[in-house]
Amino acid sequence: MAALLEMRGIVKCFGAVRANDGIDLDAQAGEIVGLLGENGSGKSTLMKLLFGMMPPDAGGIVFRGRELSDHNPRMAAEAGIAMIHQHFTLVEAMTVAENIMLGWQDAGWRLKRREIADRIRETSRRLGLELDPSARVGDLSLGRRQRIEILKAVLRDAELLILDEPTSNLAPPEVAELLAILRHLRAEGKGIIFITHKLPEVLDVCDRVVVLRAGRVAGFAPVAGADRATLARMMVGRDVPAPQNLSGSGTGATRLSVSGLGGAGIGPMDLTLSGGEILGLAGVDGNGQLELAETLAGLRAATGGSVMLDGRDITHASVSARMTAGLAYIPADRSSTALVRGMTIAANLMLRDSARPPYARRGWLTKRATQTRAAALMQGFDIRAPSPAVPAGRLSGGNQQKIVIARELDRNPGLLIAHQPTWGLDPGATHFVMERMLALRAAGAAVLYISSELEEVLAISDRVAVLAGGAIAGIMPRGGVDMAQLGLWMSGRAA
Amino acid sequence: MSDALSATPATRIALRRQGLLPRILGAVLLSFIIAALLIALTGHNPLTAFAAMLGGVFGSPYQIGEALNRTSPYLLAGSGVALCFRAGVINIGADGQIAMGGIGAAGVVLLWPGQPGLLSAVAAIIGAALCGAAWAGIATAIHLGRRVHEVLVTLLLNFVALLLVQLALAGPLGQPGAGFLQSRPLPRADWLWRAPHVFFHGGIILGVIAALALSVLLWKTPFGFAIRVTGQSRRAAAYAGFSAAGITWGVMLTAGGLAGIAGGTEVLGLHHRLIEGFSTGFGFKAVTVALLGALEPAAVIPAALFVGLLESGALSMQRQIGVPSALVVVIEGITMLLILAATVRRA
Ligand SMILES: Nc1ncnc2c1ncn2[C@@H]1O[C@H](COP(=O)(O)OP(=O)(O)OP(=O)(O)O)[C@@H](O)[C@H]1O
Ligand SMILES: [Mg+2]
Repeated sequence: MAALLEMRGIVKCFGAVRANDGIDLDAQAGEIVGLLGENGSGKSTLMKLLFGMMPPDAGGIVFRGRELSDHNPRMAAEAGIAMIHQHFTLVEAMTVAENIMLGWQDAGWRLKRREIADRIRETSRRLGLELDPSARVGDLSLGRRQRIEILKAVLRDAELLILDEPTSNLAPPEVAELLAILRHLRAEGKGIIFITHKLPEVLDVCDRVVVLRAGRVAGFAPVAGADRATLARMMVGRDVPAPQNLSGSGTGATRLSVSGLGGAGIGPMDLTLSGGEILGLAGVDGNGQLELAETLAGLRAATGGSVMLDGRDITHASVSARMTAGLAYIPADRSSTALVRGMTIAANLMLRDSARPPYARRGWLTKRATQTRAAALMQGFDIRAPSPAVPAGRLSGGNQQKIVIARELDRNPGLLIAHQPTWGLDPGATHFVMERMLALRAAGAAVLYISSELEEVLAISDRVAVLAGGAIAGIMPRGGVDMAQLGLWMSGRAA
Repeated sequence: MSDALSATPATRIALRRQGLLPRILGAVLLSFIIAALLIALTGHNPLTAFAAMLGGVFGSPYQIGEALNRTSPYLLAGSGVALCFRAGVINIGADGQIAMGGIGAAGVVLLWPGQPGLLSAVAAIIGAALCGAAWAGIATAIHLGRRVHEVLVTLLLNFVALLLVQLALAGPLGQPGAGFLQSRPLPRADWLWRAPHVFFHGGIILGVIAALALSVLLWKTPFGFAIRVTGQSRRAAAYAGFSAAGITWGVMLTAGGLAGIAGGTEVLGLHHRLIEGFSTGFGFKAVTVALLGALEPAAVIPAALFVGLLESGALSMQRQIGVPSALVVVIEGITMLLILAATVRRA
C-alpha cells in the first residue's frame, strides 16, 4: 500500500538556524505516528511546512500520491490535511454548529441548520466526541473546544490530522478522552501525526515514533516493545534520571502564610509555606488554580483575608511591591501574560526587572550589561536561539517557556509560585527545571508548585495539597501519600 | 534610533529585507502618476502643475520657510501621538489640545502684557504646553475614572475645545468689531523667533528636539520600555508590574503638552493672534504623520516634513495654475493611503 504521506529531504533554515535539515517522514492511513524531539528540534516547523504555512527550502511532499508544493493551508485542507492548532480558531459567541459551518463549502449557501446539526450529532457519537451542536463555544472547556476542531476536520474529509502538543493544556481525564478519540480515528483509517513531550501518551496511543534532534531524524522505532527509558534516550541522546527529591527539611521559618484569603472564584482558604519546602498543589485545572496564583501574585484583588510574606502584609500590595518582597511568579498563560512575543528574548528576560540593575542604571537602560546578562541566562537555561535580539515569538514553544523560568529564577526569590512550569518542555528540560526548583528549595526558598499533573506534583513536593472548587480540599505529607484519598479530594468538590 | 533590546532591530532587518524604502518610494511615484492623471482630467498640464508644486516648496527661501512652518505643528503633535499609540492609547484629541495651547499662548501674552520679550515668549510657550496637557489630562481622567473609551473622550473634547476658543475670542481675548472671531493682534515683541532669510519660526526646532527626546525616552529608559510593553500586551504589562493608569497619564500629558506647544507656536509664530478654528484638522494630520512614521518618534520627523512639503506645494499649485482645491485634498489623500498601504506591517 502506498504511503498516505511521504516527506522527503525537507530542509528549512531561519537565517543560520537549520530548523529542518533533510528530514524524511512517512505516515500511513490508519496509523498514529508520534513525532518526538527536544525543544527546538524542528517538529512544529516540519508540520508548518506540511500544512503549507511556509515554504520549505528544499525537499518534496507527496500526499495521497500527489505532489504537494507551493501550497497554502487552504490548499492543504482541500487536499485532506487538517491541523489542530494549540490556539483554537473558534468564535466563542457562536454555537458548535455555527463554528463548524463557518467557511465550509459543503454547508452550501443556505444555512441548513437541521441537516448540519444531525451530521454533527451522528459523527460526534461515532467518534465519542460528545458534542452538542447547539452549545455555545464560550461555555465549553478547552478539551471540548479541541474536539470541535477535530470534528471540523473529520466532517471536511481530512485524511491526515496533525496535532501539535494537543494535550499540553488539557486536564488528565480530558487527555484520556482525547487519546480514545484518536484511536477511533485510527480505526476509521485516518492517518495521524501526534506531537507530544509526554512519553506515557506516546506509549499509550502511538504505533511508531519518529524522533527529531537538531533538525534531523535521530531515530525511529515501533512503539510495541519500547519503554519510557528507551524513548527518552532516543530523544535526548542520554539517560534521563528521575529527579532526586531528597526530601526537603521544610523546617525553615514560615515564609508564606495565607489566612482566610478570598477572591473571585476562590476561598476562603488557609495555607502556610515554610522556607525550604515545596508545596505541590494538585487538582483538576479550572478549580481556582489561576485565581489563586494571580491573587497571590497581585494580578487579582483579594476580597478578604490576608497574605503575609516573610512577616510582611502583602494582601493589597502592588505587583512590583510583591516582587521586591521576594515573590516570583511563573504564569501558566505563556502567550499573552508571561511573554511579549513581539519583543526580543533580552527584553523578555528583563520584563519584570527593567528598572533594576543590570538592566538599568541611573535611570537609563543599559545595553551591554543587558546583552551580557541575557546571553548568560540563555546559556544557563539552554534557551536555544541565535542571539538575545531574536523576538521571543520565533522560538520553539519549549524555549519560550525557558525564558519565563530563567527570568523568575534569576531573581533568587524567597517565594516562587510556579503554575504549570513544565508546560511544553521536553523531558530533559523538565528534569532540569525540577532540579532548579530543588536547588531553590535547598537555598531556603518556599515553592508553591501548581500543576494538574499529579505525577509531577508527587515527584517534587514535600507536601501535597488538592485544590477543588476554589478551596483546599486537604493536605498530606508526601511520605504518607494516600492515592485513594487524593482522588477523592480531587473529585469531591471539583466542578 | 537603534536598540538591540527592542523588536526594532529585527523588525528593521526584516523591513530592509522586504525593501521598505523602495516600497515607500514606489508608493510616492504611483501617487504622483495618479495625481498627474487627475490633473490632466481637469484640463491642466501635469508637468506645469508639478513644476508649480516644486517651485512652491523650493522656489525661494521664503517658500521653504513656509513649508517648514506647515510641518512644525504636525511634527510636534504627531510625535506625541506616536508615543500614545505605542502605549496602545489611541489619542485622537490633538485638535483640541492644539486649540487649548493656542488659548494658553494668546492668553499669557494678552492678559499679562508688558513683560520683557524672552520671559514673555517662554511663559507663553509654557502656558501653551500646560493648557494642552490639562486638556489631555481631562480626557485621561474621564477615560480612566469613568472607563469611557479614550477615542470617544478625546474626540468629543475636540469639539468642546473649539467652542472654548470661540468663547475666549468672544470674551477676554477677542478683538471687538473685527468682523470675525479673532483675538487682538499680539505685540510684535512677543512673536516667536524666526530664522533670518528663511523665515521659519521656532516651532520646527522645538518639534525636532521633541521628536528626538521622545525617541530617547522610548528606547533608552525603563519608562519607555514600560510604554512599549503596555502597547504590546496589557496583560504582560500588568504582570511586569507596570501601572496602566500611570503610563496612560504619562503619555497623554506628554502628548497633550506637545500638542499645546504646537498650538502655541501657531499663534506666536504664524498667525500672531488667536483665530477661530485655527487648529481644525491638525489632530488627524498628527495621527497620519505618526502612522507614516511607523510610530517611531524620530521617524515622524521625515514623515511630518513629507506631509508639510506636499501640502505646501499643492497649495501653491492651486494658487498658480488654478488646479481646483478639492483636487489638492484628493491627491494628498491618495498619497497618504498608498504610503500607508506600502508600509503596513504584515501580520
Ligand atoms: N519563524 C521563525 N523564525 C526564526 N526561527 C524560527 C522560526 N520558527 C522556528 N524557528 C527556529 O527553528 C527551530 C525549530 O523550532 P520548532 O518550533 O520547529 O521546534 P519544536 O521541535 O516544535 O520545539 P518545541 O518542542 O519547543 O515546541 C528553533 O530553533 C526555532 O528557534
Ligand atoms: Mg513546537
